[in-house]
Formats: sequence, C-alpha cells, structure tokens
Amino acid sequence: MAQCVQSVQEFIQDSFVPMVAVLCSEHAEQVTRKNNLNFSELLRPFCRLTSEGHMRDPNNQVQVVKNLRISVNNVVTRPSVPTSGVHGPAQRRLLSEVVSACQPAEGGVANVIPAGDYDLNISATTPWFEAYRESFLQSMPASDHEFLNHYLACLLVVSSSEAVPVEQFLKLSQEQHRIQHNGEYTNPKWFIPNTLKYYVLLHDMSQGDEQRADSVYEDMKQRYGSQGCYLLKINSRTAAAGTDEQIPDPWSQYLNKSSLQISVNCLDNTHPLQLETAIDTPGSLDSLRAVAAETKTTTVYTGMVAGTSHGACLTLNDHDRLRLFIQEFTFRGLLPHIEKNIRQLNDQLVSRKGLSRSLFSATKKWFGGGKVPEKSIAELKNTSGLLYPPEAPELQIRKMADLCFLVQHYELAYSCYHTAKKDFLSDQAMLYAAGALEMAAVSAFLQGGAPRPYPAHYMDTAIQTYRDVCKNKVLAERCALFSAEVLKSQAKYSDAATLLIKMTCEDSDLCSALLLEQAAHCFINMRNPMVRKFAFHMILAGHRFSKAGQKRHALRCYCQAMQVYKGKGWSLAEDHINFTIGRQSFTLRQPENAVSAFRHILTNDSQQTSTQQGAFLREYLYVYRNVQGVCEVALPQLPLPCINSSATRVYFGHERRLAEGEKQAATHVSLDQEFDRDLAAVWQDLEEQVVATANRGVVPSTFYPTQCCLNSQTDNLRFPLAVVEEPIIVEVAFRNPLKVPLVLSDLSLLWKFTLKDFSQPQPQDVMVGDAFTISNEKEARLKLLPRQTGQLNILGLVYNLASTPTGDSTINSPSALEGTWVRGRQDLKIQGPRLNQTKEEKTSVSHGPDRRLDPTITPPMPLLEVLTHHCPLPLTQK
Amino acid sequence: MEHTQSRDACWHSRHHSKMAVCIAVIAKENYPLYIRSVPVQNELKFHYTVHTSLDVVEEKISAVGKAMADQRELYLGLLYPTEDYKVYGYVTNSKVKFVIVVDSSNTSLRDNEIRSMFRKLHNSFTDVMCNPFYNPGDTIQSKAFDSMVSAMMVQAS
Repeated sequence: MAQCVQSVQEFIQDSFVPMVAVLCSEHAEQVTRKNNLNFSELLRPFCRLTSEGHMRDPNNQVQVVKNLRISVNNVVTRPSVPTSGVHGPAQRRLLSEVVSACQPAEGGVANVIPAGDYDLNISATTPWFEAYRESFLQSMPASDHEFLNHYLACLLVVSSSEAVPVEQFLKLSQEQHRIQHNGEYTNPKWFIPNTLKYYVLLHDMSQGDEQRADSVYEDMKQRYGSQGCYLLKINSRTAAAGTDEQIPDPWSQYLNKSSLQISVNCLDNTHPLQLETAIDTPGSLDSLRAVAAETKTTTVYTGMVAGTSHGACLTLNDHDRLRLFIQEFTFRGLLPHIEKNIRQLNDQLVSRKGLSRSLFSATKKWFGGGKVPEKSIAELKNTSGLLYPPEAPELQIRKMADLCFLVQHYELAYSCYHTAKKDFLSDQAMLYAAGALEMAAVSAFLQGGAPRPYPAHYMDTAIQTYRDVCKNKVLAERCALFSAEVLKSQAKYSDAATLLIKMTCEDSDLCSALLLEQAAHCFINMRNPMVRKFAFHMILAGHRFSKAGQKRHALRCYCQAMQVYKGKGWSLAEDHINFTIGRQSFTLRQPENAVSAFRHILTNDSQQTSTQQGAFLREYLYVYRNVQGVCEVALPQLPLPCINSSATRVYFGHERRLAEGEKQAATHVSLDQEFDRDLAAVWQDLEEQVVATANRGVVPSTFYPTQCCLNSQTDNLRFPLAVVEEPIIVEVAFRNPLKVPLVLSDLSLLWKFTLKDFSQPQPQDVMVGDAFTISNEKEARLKLLPRQTGQLNILGLVYNLASTPTGDSTINSPSALEGTWVRGRQDLKIQGPRLNQTKEEKTSVSHGPDRRLDPTITPPMPLLEVLTHHCPLPLTQK
Repeated sequence: MEHTQSRDACWHSRHHSKMAVCIAVIAKENYPLYIRSVPVQNELKFHYTVHTSLDVVEEKISAVGKAMADQRELYLGLLYPTEDYKVYGYVTNSKVKFVIVVDSSNTSLRDNEIRSMFRKLHNSFTDVMCNPFYNPGDTIQSKAFDSMVSAMMVQAS
C-alpha cells in the first residue's frame, strides 16, 4: 500500500468516534443560518479536542482520552439505504465522484524506487484511495450488530429569543424521545435507551437581550444541572462592522468534502423506491420535516456552489466559544455519561456472568442445543445465523466493548470483544461474531505497549464471515481496509497484498481497481521489491479503473506499469500497454501522447499477428487523423514505412535507356542498373584521358570525374552539380516492417532552396508519384526540375499513409484511399561513411558528410548525348 | 470424479492431462527467449503471467544463500497458483529460467512429472546452445526444440 497522510492509529481512531445527534428549534436554526451553516456544520471544525480528557474505568483506574474527535450530526429520520450489504447506486456515484475528483498533482512528488535493474518513478501517496476510504467509511450505514456509529447523545438547541425557551426544550426532548422509542424509525439508531440529552441555549449577540439569556440559563442550570446545559453565545460580529477583518474560514475544507455527499443525498431522495417509503409513513409530520431539512441542505449546497463564505457573523472569539463549548460538552457531559454506562453495563455483566452464563451454556449442552430457551420469542433466523433483538442481554457486552473502544480504553474493549466473540460464536450468531472479531483485532492492535501480537487471523475470519456467511460486502470491505492498513504498518506487505487481492470482486470495478493498486504498492514496498508483480497488478488496476470509467486513473496506472515493461523484450505486453495508453490518452484528449504510444507499437519489431497489426494501424491512422483535425500543426513525422536512407540514389539529368533497339548509349549509368565499381573505374579512366587530351596532356588539378548517379558506394563528399532545366531523380527505398500492406499516395519531396544568383525567380516542379502499396520493400522515384541556379537541399518526403481496406486488390483505385489516411512527412538523413583515416577517427565513431541530396544548381550547360549504332564489339574492348 | 462433471469438462481433462498450456524460456537478463502457449488467443495473458512469475523466481533464488548456490536444486517447484493456472519454475546454473504453466484443473500432473518435463526442456535447450549457428541470447528458433515443446503442450483446440 502507498503511504498515507494519517498514521494507522489515527486512521482507525478517527473511523470510530462518538456520535452526537442535534435537534434544533426553528429559531435556533435561523440564528445559525446567518452564517450559511446549520448547527452541526457550525460545530464541525471544532470537533477534535485538543486537550486530554480523563475518566475512570470500572476498576476505578484513570483512563486518559487523547486527541478525541466527536461527530455531530443532524437527526435525519429518513429511512436510510437498506443494509443489504452492497452499495446503492447513489453511494456508488458518490464514491466514484470522490475518486475522480482526486487526481495526482501535476508534476507532483514522485519518488524513484530503485529495484534491481529498474528505476521506477512512482508517487508515494495515493490520495484518491484515502479519499475513497474516508467517504466509504462515512457512507457506511449504521448496522444492528454494532453500536459504534449509533448516537450516544443528543444536543437540544434552542434560541434565547424564543418566548419560553424552556418549553421549547421540553418539546425537543419529547421529540427526541419519540424518535428513539416510537419504533417508527429504524434510523437513526441510538446507543443506549436513555440517551444523554444536553440542553444548549443559543444566544445571538447581535440582536438578543444578553441579560435575559443569562437568566434563562440560570433557570436551566436549576432544572438540568450545570453539567447538562450550556449557554452558547455566537454571532458577535455585526454585518457592518469589521469587514476589513480577515477571519479564517475553517468550514470550507469540511463542507466542500461533504457537499458531494449532500448532493448525493438529495438524489437519493428522488430515487423512486425511497420516495415510496417516504409516502408509506402517513400522518407523520416528520416526513415533512425531513423533506424540509432536505431542501435546506440543498440550499446549502447551491449556496456552496455559488461560493458563499461561511461564518460571516462569527469573530475569532466566537470560534473560541464554540471550541470551548465542545470541550465542555465532551468532558462534562459525554465522557461522564459514557463512564456511567460502562459502569452500569459492567455491573450487569458481572452479576450475570457469575451463575447464569455458565448455567445456560450447560443446559444448552445437555439438552442437545435444539432450542435455545432464553430468547426463543424474538429470535429471527436468517442467512447469517441468529439476529438478536436490540436490547438483548447478549448484546450488552458488545455495547460495553464499543463504549470502551470509543473512549480509547482498548484493553478493556479487547477483553469484552473477546468474550462477546465467544458468546456469539456459541450462539451461531455469525454477523455479531464477525463484528466482535473485527473489533477485537483492532483493539488488540491499538493497545499501547503491545501486550499481545496483532491477531491477523481474527480479521481473516471476520472478513470471511462477513462476505461468505452474511453476504455483506460492505462490511467485509471495511474490515479488509483496516486489516490491510494494520498489516502495512507492520511491514507485512505480502499479507496485505494477498488480502487486498482477495477482496477484489466482479461487482465493483472501482473498489477492485483501488484495492489492486494498493496491492501493487505493497509489492513495490516489500523488502525485496517485486517489480513485476507491481507492474502486473497496476495493469489489472488500470483495467478495472477504465471499466469503472476512471480514465485518468487508468491511464496513470498503465503509465506506471509501462516503466517496468518498457524495452525489456516483452513486446507483446509492451504493445498491449502502449495500445491501451494510446486509446486512453486519445479519449482524454491528449493526442500527442496517444500518437507517440501508437507509434511505439508500429515501429518496434512487432511480433503481433497481421490482423492485430492491421487493427493497430487503423487505430493509429484514426487517432492521427483526429489529431490533425484538432490542431493545425506542421506536418507530423510518420513512423511508417521505414526508409532505408543510405540506399537512396540520386540521378542527374534526363533519364535514358542504355540501349534502345540498335542504338547504344555511350554511358554505363542508369537508374535501372546496379552500380558496378569496376565499370565505373573504366569510365572514370576514360574521362580522365579525354580531359587530358583536351588540356594538352595535363589533367587539371580541379578535375573531378563526373558522377551522374549517386548512391551509397559513390564518392559523396562534394556537392554534386545539377543543371538548370535538367531533372534530378531521387530514388527512395522503403521497407514495410509490418505484415500488412501500406498504401502511400501523393508522394512528393520536401526541399529547401537558396538562391545564388538573383535572376528570374521561379518555383521548381516536383513530380508526384502515384499511389502504391508496400508489402515488404519497394523503391519510389521522384523527379525534381530546377528552374534557376542556387543551392538545393532535399530534406525529406511528404506523403499520405493509409492502410489497405480489407481486400488487398484494387489498390490503385480511388476507393482504396477513401479510408482513413494521414498526411505526414519523413526526413531523409543520410549518414556518411564511417571515417577511418587518422588515429582519432579510428578510435572514435565519427561519420563523414554525405552530400548526395544537396546538389548545387548550375547555369545551363551544353548537353552531349552519344548514341552508337551497330557498335562493333571490339571497339569497346581494350 | 469425472462422473459429476459435464461432458465438456470430461473432454477437457482427457485432453489436457500431462500437458502444459504455456512453456517459456527466459534469458538471464529476464527477456523471453522462447514463449509458446495454447490457445493462441490467450497469448498476452500468458506473457503477463510468465513475466510476473519472474519475481517469485528471483525471490526463490535469492532465498538460497550465496554459499549454497552451487548445491541449489534447479527445480524451484510451484511458483504461485493463480485462479486458473499453476506456474512452475526451473533455473539453470547459467540463470536461464524455464517456466511451465499448467491448468489448475489438471490434477493428474504430479510434481515428478513436472520435474521430468523440465529435465527434458533443459536437455533440449542444451542441444540448442550446442548448435554452433545459435547465438546465445537470440530467440530460439530451433525446429527440434519446437517439436519437443509441442509434445509437452496441450494440442491446440
């Protein structure tokens, strides 16, 4: 797994925090609304306690509670997603949005991991995974088999501007009681029957009468005790004053995150099934209230989108007051409440444990376990075994364990979970047993000083039970996320990877992709990094990402895997990755990357079958065509076909046949003839003699034998001479590395011309070749006709490239070219011969120039053509 | 056991017994010298599988201490089982790796049979190396080797 921002301990601790509900009166809601926030949102940034709390466990030992966070939420009585063990569509959408919103930073920190002969560039962190995990845990529905995310307390909030605040408190209190005990709502779930009610009087400093608020508070203290109520004063900043003051906005980071969630919740409500259930509860005011609350949240959402600031009426002093309030509530209200309940539960358990427990188990054993006498009435059987009623005595120990866990008393929690686990297992209550196993393992891990090793097998059993017996994928996934994180922290990467891979499934591509990616990171983090496994799992992850519609993540995975496969001779795999990268880049509108990826497939010595190559080529041409359509760039370089540039031949002058009927040309040079070194020497000798005769027996020092046709074997050190109005013919040798034929058309030369003499400026003609197909090797001849003197440089070729349409006949017909084709260029660069004269040249690799393609155009010269008729053979034979 | 299986599966087990689905020879530098697999459509998958198995091969080699390297057994045993396949490994003294992939459903193949398959492969590979026209490090294109491998593979269906 990749590195995370949080430590494991922090992560697990923050995943299970005491839950506090909020019920707000209308007036109080109005007061907080001035800040664009509701009451629970108002408190959210201050929910982590900075100071230590203390409480006593049943043995009167002082337990320190550090770095505690509480979670404050509005009561929503809307029936939540049924706990079917799989994510609903809305949750899926939320998770997918969270992941796609979290992309690696451009040019972010990537660390190089040297592994064997590989140096891999891998980002050490995977924030999208953490974001996913956070949202996943948050969107977890409250379950009946555990109490960790059931509400422990309820804040009743009333504004001081109310006519009779005490009456309002009474109303809210009754409301809370109704919600909890009416039996009408399965949600929210409450931890303990007598939920802690904490009375908060909200005072708006900007408009209310402070003295009155104080007196009401005094009255409340009499009524509820000073530990059970609080006077919270906020909104001390008037809108007019201090706009210049810069107040930090701690809400933005919390609300931006949850805004997605809210929007999904709204969508949730419009879901047809859910609508039905809302209508199903007739005569309930609360369904209306819920809808009202919902519309409020939507307004918050839209407000957020508009970019409204939060807490506009709050001063820094108010922030402190909020912080103080949370602290006061937690230390004076919540922790003592938990402490009391732990004590009570403990007393109950101790009294029960003494006799009854052993007796029951004994009777069960004796009477053959057919009927369990204790709870035969309310018992429900389902696939996961037994289901207990909410207040069953068997659940009390689990409750106590959860309470201890929430206040970080992991030692006691562990022993309770452990006992609970044994009880549940003997009752065959598998869901409960799995829950207890999971938490036992987690609390064993969190115990400081490590008195016992982390029981990984507990987790494995829990995961297996959740998944196979209870068919609850969500819980199994949660369990696996914890287990993997713990294993990672203990450097058991191989176990973590195995676990993560085991958790991948067919139903959720996103989840599988993320888990596979983490598994890949596990492999690379091992003591002996397993590079290839990393790469392989990255590819699997990329595949799942692309199936889940996360194109960017998919591309990133493939690119990271590519580092391992690149240039190692595994061409089939490399081609596959390149092809996928090409496709993904194309859909993500990164055409340059797409083109370069496809280019790789086509150029490296492809081992693919011809059909596969044909598919690659078509895809490449298609992408290329689109790229050209999008951005008007200079002609791109085409990778195909290969040009054997050293085999290029250049012919100066009119092309002529060596022999035509009885006529015999007095030359040995022709494009249709192979170069013959001996013959060339004979002619050169002959020319030298002629020149010597013309110059009265002396060969001038500037003499240089004429070369009509230049190729790789001729002396190409000098700039060749070409004459105005006489054609230059360039023959280019193509080679097609693919097994499918290529069609080239509209072939022409690219050249540069510099004038030497400023006479009549006129362009030059370029002969254009017809369309032709290359199956393996083929040459093309292109003619160039210079119209004025100067220096010519032939740079390359321009042509249209296309693949043959399925049938390979009728290539020259225009219909063959109607398919996808692209226009591009290829440069002609001829490397001169290797220099091997001096010692320096011999010891280093250096090449001489080759000026075949850089002719100097000279003014018109007389052209003499000699043809012999019936040439007697002996004349040419010396 | 075959009674309970469908006709298809019967056919499957009859034809796949004592057979590999993929055989690969990997150079010391971990690039493929030779890979053959059936059926051909799954070629890519086998390439990935064989490539990934090299991690385990390296792990197993490095697990044997330097001093013990001489007495190391060439046969590495089961490298790792995937859902559908079992992957076996073998490393020559010159660090050339042989990998054989077998169908997981194939229960008739015992460890001994795999061993003898590797031994055959090694002998045949030695013959290839002895060929004066073979350049060590080139991909293997020997007909003799090819036919020996074919004999060990499932007939392409």
